Amino acid sequence: MTASIYIHEQEFILHPSGAVYWERQNMLLIADVHFGKVTHFRKHGAAVPLKSSEENFQKLRDVVAIYSPKTVCFLGDLFHSRKNSEWKQFEKWVQETEAKIILVSGNHDIIPSYLYQDLGLEVRDELRLDDFLFTHHPTANEALFNIAGHVHPGIRLLGVGRQSIKLACFYKRKGQFILPAFGTFTGKHIIRPQPEDIVYAIVEGQVVCVSANP
Amino acid sequence: MNELIDIAETWFRQQGWKPFPFQKKTWKAFLAGKHGLLNAPTGSGKTYSLWIPVVLQYIKDHPDYKTKRSPGIKAIWITPLRALSVEIQQAAQRFADELDTGLTVGIRTGDTPQSERARQKKNMPDLLITTPESLMLLLASKGYAKTFSTLQAIVVDEWHELLGSKRGVQMELALSRFKTICPRLRIWGISATIGNLEEAQDVLLGMDSSFRKNAVLIKAKNKRKVIVKSIIPKKMETFPWRGHLGLHLLDEVVPILKKSRTTLIFTNTRGQCEIWFQKLLAEYPELAGAIAMHHGSISKDTRLWVEQAIRNESLTAVVATSSLDLGVDFAPVETIIQIGGPKGVAKFLQRAGRSNHRPGEASVIYFLPTHALELVEASALKRAVQEDVMEDRIPYLLSFDVLIQYLLTLAVSDGFFPKEIYKEIKTTFCFQGISDDQWQWCLNFITIGSQSLQAYDEYRKVTVTPQGLFKVESRQIAMMHRLSIGTIVSDAMLLVKYVSGGFIGTIEEWFIGKMKPGDTFVFAGRTLELVRLRNMQAQVRAAKKTSTNVVSFMGGRLPLSSQMSKILREELNSVPMAAEERPAQSRELKALEPIFKRQRRESVVPGAHEFLIESFKTREGYHCVCYPFEGRFVHEAMSGLLAYRISLLSPVTFSLAYNDYGFELLSDRPIDIQQIIDNNLFSADYLFDDLQKSLNATELARRKFRDIAVISGMVFQGYPNKTIKTKHLQSNSQLLFDVFRDYEPNNLLYLQAFRETFEHQLEEGRLREALERINTQTIVWKPCMKPTPFSFPIITDRLREKLSSEKLADRIKRMTLQLEK
Repeated sequence: MTASIYIHEQEFILHPSGAVYWERQNMLLIADVHFGKVTHFRKHGAAVPLKSSEENFQKLRDVVAIYSPKTVCFLGDLFHSRKNSEWKQFEKWVQETEAKIILVSGNHDIIPSYLYQDLGLEVRDELRLDDFLFTHHPTANEALFNIAGHVHPGIRLLGVGRQSIKLACFYKRKGQFILPAFGTFTGKHIIRPQPEDIVYAIVEGQVVCVSANP
Repeated sequence: MNELIDIAETWFRQQGWKPFPFQKKTWKAFLAGKHGLLNAPTGSGKTYSLWIPVVLQYIKDHPDYKTKRSPGIKAIWITPLRALSVEIQQAAQRFADELDTGLTVGIRTGDTPQSERARQKKNMPDLLITTPESLMLLLASKGYAKTFSTLQAIVVDEWHELLGSKRGVQMELALSRFKTICPRLRIWGISATIGNLEEAQDVLLGMDSSFRKNAVLIKAKNKRKVIVKSIIPKKMETFPWRGHLGLHLLDEVVPILKKSRTTLIFTNTRGQCEIWFQKLLAEYPELAGAIAMHHGSISKDTRLWVEQAIRNESLTAVVATSSLDLGVDFAPVETIIQIGGPKGVAKFLQRAGRSNHRPGEASVIYFLPTHALELVEASALKRAVQEDVMEDRIPYLLSFDVLIQYLLTLAVSDGFFPKEIYKEIKTTFCFQGISDDQWQWCLNFITIGSQSLQAYDEYRKVTVTPQGLFKVESRQIAMMHRLSIGTIVSDAMLLVKYVSGGFIGTIEEWFIGKMKPGDTFVFAGRTLELVRLRNMQAQVRAAKKTSTNVVSFMGGRLPLSSQMSKILREELNSVPMAAEERPAQSRELKALEPIFKRQRRESVVPGAHEFLIESFKTREGYHCVCYPFEGRFVHEAMSGLLAYRISLLSPVTFSLAYNDYGFELLSDRPIDIQQIIDNNLFSADYLFDDLQKSLNATELARRKFRDIAVISGMVFQGYPNKTIKTKHLQSNSQLLFDVFRDYEPNNLLYLQAFRETFEHQLEEGRLREALERINTQTIVWKPCMKPTPFSFPIITDRLREKLSSEKLADRIKRMTLQLEK
């Protein structure tokens, strides 16, 4: 189950996978996939289950199939480290995908741009479109609304009887919207929102507003 | 043999000593080629019980020993604490020198400089004193079999400390290898008294009959008398119902300090230690310079200085933690004060034994309660000491994480053939029950990183040569492994240093992580201001203002042992008995009468055949408090179990709290207690299933997994002082736990986390017994108007677990977002 938020009168659909679909531009936004992280760990002797990397690709295929977007835009940290065998699977995915693919580079993206470009991807440091500025690192901008990744936001919820729970979330604050990490083998960073901020948590396949203002 | 014994006895006479019967017995058994376990307390001359026969054997084998030295290592002495090694070295060297044997004694621990280690590798000392971790590192170096071919004896000192931990498993594995490479090996252990000495011997010697048949258990008979005195508050009515610091009785402590030469004040945590030290100085400034503090985070130099000062008798008192439990003897210590329940008889006695090492004289230990009910614990402790009750140390079984680390160790040095090693490890106590499938799983794990070969995979930790030798080829993996050897997993630690230089100690990263530059905190007895964090160093300066932010440390909360719980229940159950029926009451119980009176007014004090449940409502919600008196761990499990079973009846969410006396279920909606009784929810039927399903078990297993992930090499903790470069390889065990749960739930390491939770944390066996006992009791349900004295310490506990059967999405509707403060 998805949820919608409106920024500058445009609808953005929040999908429980962590992806965001931008109706007007027919564009799918995805942050912090960290492809190759599982393999990178395995290469260095930590036997992380390979299935969790396969799941990354499956999740991506599924969400692209739902929206059939014209463009898929990755908001950085697409690959965790250097090129490794997961690159081959990525190549395969790119070939299968009809959408145009843009990568807004992040701090983990150390694979040279030309390798992406050879696959037909557009690689850039930021993307300006309509009233929006898409970056990897959250970037304040006077004129444009910023949509970014990098943070892997999560929140802590408190309940009566001293209950507490941590969930990955979409996080909107003044002039800025931050996506959760899409990748399966990524952690979350617990943020403490201000009262006026808007937070949508991902809980058991649903996107639920947990802040006072929707 | 008698001539040899004469040599030793003559030497003893020259020193003006006389050997104890257990020492002579041990010499003879060793010289007769036996293995064994020596049960002797600290400070009883145990070094000489086992070093002497090693030397005598050498003399026997080399009649011309005074003129001609035979090279090669003769014996290894394992000590769990580096701090003990110097003392042992001095004693051993003295005997070797005075007999003109020319034998050398060396130390190899984490503190040994690289140059010294290199020298040892070329030319091993005759006796090497080392730790289990350093011994493993020796097995990780090339040609170890040749280095140790002359080895005749391994002595494992303080075996009771290692047994019951994964360091014990590490020792078992190392010994299994040494048995093969040293044909003349004799294995000996030294242990303080524990409940399961016979089992301790089995674990040490392993399951192969050649060793078991040829073994002896020798018990020293010099038992020391211990006198326990409780410090009882003058006015019980105003003594707090909860708390863990005990500062209310500070004024009672000072007269005790003034009466004796040196007093050791034992606290249960480092935080408590800091606070007591501060408060003593604040209230009694005249103690400045006469008291000191000793705990594991303080720099080694300071600790050594304190230890020396105790020996010189220049200190009135030392506030300490378990860092002073073990080891070296301090003759001037006359009195011990224990603050708060030590939770176990063995630990309490060990601490009591730190005083007055003069044979024949009694050790005096004062018990200072931190809250009212702890006096019951004091009363129980006194009885336990009188009745000689001792806890068991439960050895670990099938610790695959340690096995994987061990296999990698062998693969890093000379490589191994699985057939040979499998035979060896099957003879250990820990792995006697390993199946062929499990063994193959471990081999697959280290070679292909999973159970089936997959294309495109880049996992290669251990490679197999065409001859079938399992070996690590990558230098980087070898180096990372050597840095990771060990089974003690600690939090990331930061060095605390003055800006001007000067090392103060180490501190857990998460504590400093919460602070901003300019914040102040109390550490190592000083008030410090954080200046900056740089390269895993917290740079500080002395603060001008005072601070209440005392460094707190995780862990340290030991549960009441089952032996102690039983006595504690008996003590408490005697309270409601008629005066003529009950046994003579201790001073402690008598002093508690005002509390019992209050408890009776609000609820009841349960008798032996009653099981008490209280319910009441406060601002926090609806409380249900049960009192099994079985210790934290059992209560942790039982609360989860009960909450789970209630949740099957209707969707509900609980927050759980527990201490050593009972547990609490707290809910935002009323709890139907009658339904607990009617449905027989304390049944021991389907225990294992229900436990496994209670969310509790997963959360606990998640915590156990942290150590498993590090020990098995899944999580690399980084190169020393090079934290940045490994950042891309840092994952946390939490994340790994989740991916295993989702994608590889039959992973043996993942499953091990659950097994350890059930066997070592939830103590399933004990839980079952407790439930069976409760089923023979009458359940007494008391709806109360407000919290009772018994419930107070539990409901104010801040460490909590959750259990819920509601859908997450429903739950979060009733929760609120934690906002910026």
